[in-house]
Amino acid sequence: MSLTIALAGNPNCGKTTLFNALTGARHHVGNWPGVTVERRSGSFEQDGLTLEVVDLPGTYSLAARSADERVAAQFLASPEVDLVLNVLDASNLERNLYLSTQLLELGKPVAFVLNMVDDAENRGVRIDLPALEILLGGPVIPTVGNREQGIPELKALLATLARGESTRCRRITVDYGHDIEGELGKLATEISRDEQLEASMPPRWLALQLLENNADAKRKVAESHASEAIGQQLAKSFAFLEPHLGADGATLIAERRYGFAHGLVKEVASAADERKTPTARLDALLTHRWLGIPIFLGILALVYSLSFILGKIPQDWIAEGFKALSDFAGARLPAGELTSLLVDGVIPGVSAVIVFVPVIMILMGCIAFLEDTGYMARAAFIMDRLMHVMGLHGKSFIPLIMGSGCNVPAIQAARTIESPQDRLITILVTPLVSCSARLQVYIVIAGTFFTPFKAALAIIGMHFLGLGLAVLMGRMLRSALFSGPSSPFVMELPPYRLPVLKATLIHMWEKGSIFLTRAGTTIFAGATLIWFLSRYPGIANGEWTAQYQDQRLAVQALQLPAAETEDRLKALQLAHESRIVNTSLAARLGQKASPLLQPILDPDHKRPEAWKDVIALTAGFVAKEIVVSTMAVIHQASDEPKVGERLSPLQVALRDNSGLSPLTALAFMVFTLIYTPCLGTIAMIRREAGSWGWAGFTVAYGLVLGWGLAWVTVVAGRWMGFA
Amino acid sequence: MTQNLLIPLSDLQPGDQGEVVQVEAQGPIRQRLLEMGFIRGVRLRVEKLAPLGDPMELVIKGYHLSLRRDESACILVHRVA
Repeated sequence: MSLTIALAGNPNCGKTTLFNALTGARHHVGNWPGVTVERRSGSFEQDGLTLEVVDLPGTYSLAARSADERVAAQFLASPEVDLVLNVLDASNLERNLYLSTQLLELGKPVAFVLNMVDDAENRGVRIDLPALEILLGGPVIPTVGNREQGIPELKALLATLARGESTRCRRITVDYGHDIEGELGKLATEISRDEQLEASMPPRWLALQLLENNADAKRKVAESHASEAIGQQLAKSFAFLEPHLGADGATLIAERRYGFAHGLVKEVASAADERKTPTARLDALLTHRWLGIPIFLGILALVYSLSFILGKIPQDWIAEGFKALSDFAGARLPAGELTSLLVDGVIPGVSAVIVFVPVIMILMGCIAFLEDTGYMARAAFIMDRLMHVMGLHGKSFIPLIMGSGCNVPAIQAARTIESPQDRLITILVTPLVSCSARLQVYIVIAGTFFTPFKAALAIIGMHFLGLGLAVLMGRMLRSALFSGPSSPFVMELPPYRLPVLKATLIHMWEKGSIFLTRAGTTIFAGATLIWFLSRYPGIANGEWTAQYQDQRLAVQALQLPAAETEDRLKALQLAHESRIVNTSLAARLGQKASPLLQPILDPDHKRPEAWKDVIALTAGFVAKEIVVSTMAVIHQASDEPKVGERLSPLQVALRDNSGLSPLTALAFMVFTLIYTPCLGTIAMIRREAGSWGWAGFTVAYGLVLGWGLAWVTVVAGRWMGFA
Repeated sequence: MTQNLLIPLSDLQPGDQGEVVQVEAQGPIRQRLLEMGFIRGVRLRVEKLAPLGDPMELVIKGYHLSLRRDESACILVHRVA
């Protein structure tokens, strides 16, 4: 026999810690159908029963306005749920009980967990458990989730409830007073005329939502054959209640619920002492008028260094490991299609996926840590003014800054933003923030065409341009996509808590594995497609392959010193690859598409090789750093400088043969900054924004905006007299 | 008499206390504020302003909450000594 328990509670009540304690490692993370709200489910066994636990998103209410609340409300009302387990934060009981008043209306057995009783006791709050059980009409188990106290008792209780052996759930509800109860009764009678509607949720619960003017409830009623009668009754109820009780339905109901919660807390809990809490003392420093911002920037710098400097070390190992593997396979296997698929397609494709994992795990771990301590809310509090001016939320700041390391985890970090509008806008503008992969392209191009000082200026300029564009696009998207006021900033500043290391580790593992399974396939498929475009038909040309083999043998037969042989073999390989790539489908595409890029990259029609840029940029779809290695192949010049020389052979080739001028080189940099997010970012946008549509939109606006700004660069540059 | 003057919550200074009289916001924001405890007669205390002057941090129903000026301007309160 299996039974499903829904875990419901406010944000910051320790629900997820409790979920981990209940289910251990046996759980599954996915998304709720149709929305990007995380769904965690797991199970545990007790007394021979399998109990399935579903962790609902933390919500303050079931009013179904946000995606989180809608998911919670719909799941709780569904027949799948056998038992509701309401987690209450003992140190913040009154506000937590607001949600309980709604859960008690669902017509399902509700059991309660009084979590963080240690916090409450430290604040001098003592809670009378037997009295609480009587007033809530259900069993209450005290726990300290992060120390796993009370978990065995909780499991035992849940098993007893599952077997139906307990009579401790009495199903009480809030008494809304004579007038409102009268109207609720009348509404419920009308609702009951539609049997289907009646079966979908308790009529009284639906009636309450109607009185609160809940849009989802109204929609549900509109589909019913009894909608007219219900609507008439609702209008009558409003007409009676509002003048009679002096407020609208929503206010009256909220007041009664808080009345219940307030009365209950007075009855069962002693008042908190007025001592300064550790949180207040910490906040005196962390959100201090003058020190708050410097401390925040310091923490940000630390997170950034951990993720992108420390994270770069394993990243380099992975990249080098795969490079060695690819070289090894390339040297041992006979040249040809299959080898190329393996060496130039599959291995770099897998590498392009795995290389993200360390930085994703470290950054997500840091963010989970900040979130679990309660500092994330303070960071948003500190930065909100600035971000609000930009049309964004205080919590958008961290993803945007992290974007300059790598856009992929930055977009994942946007999960911390509760409002779906703010989250979507942040996701859509993050690709404009110049990441470290694009830096590699700038370094090659700027290093070739500018003096070192000007090159540094140009590179810094690209970063500011990216941030500035993100801000502008954010404002534009907000006014274009979401008319009306921005979503409210009503954010709890939860007490500081020491996070549980295990929870942080579980979170890191989940984020890493989700990336591998969901985004990984997209990146891999894209990388293989780009490989195909840039190698065919040349790679299948047996004659070329035979020629290449003969040349290799001829060099080896010369019996030159080992170093020279290797140099010559490398040159041969580069020449062979160059021949293939420069006649590939991508090259043909490049020749077709180069007129499109002519105004920005070849304004004087003096560059016969402008089509080669298109190949490099197409390859840049996979990952921006590939632009450089592709250029090396196309121009048949290594991107590693020889000892004692400032410019690499690739840079010399670009300077002497590509026909780019400093101005068009700058336009090339601008275009590289904006034209498209890399495949990893695209896959992540698709996952986090919930549709391919938004991912496509990001690519499309990037191409248009990138072209436009590169064109402005050329035109304005010429007007100012640059060439 | 000045004590009974209705003022927007955004006019309270750090350290001031107030009593909620009315939530003037409409739509989803109103519902959210009600759920978070902004109901008639509730006492609150303004704790501080963010370093850049907005949003504000206040204590209501024993917990800490931050509100932007946009929202706190539509909550009417009595100042309480």
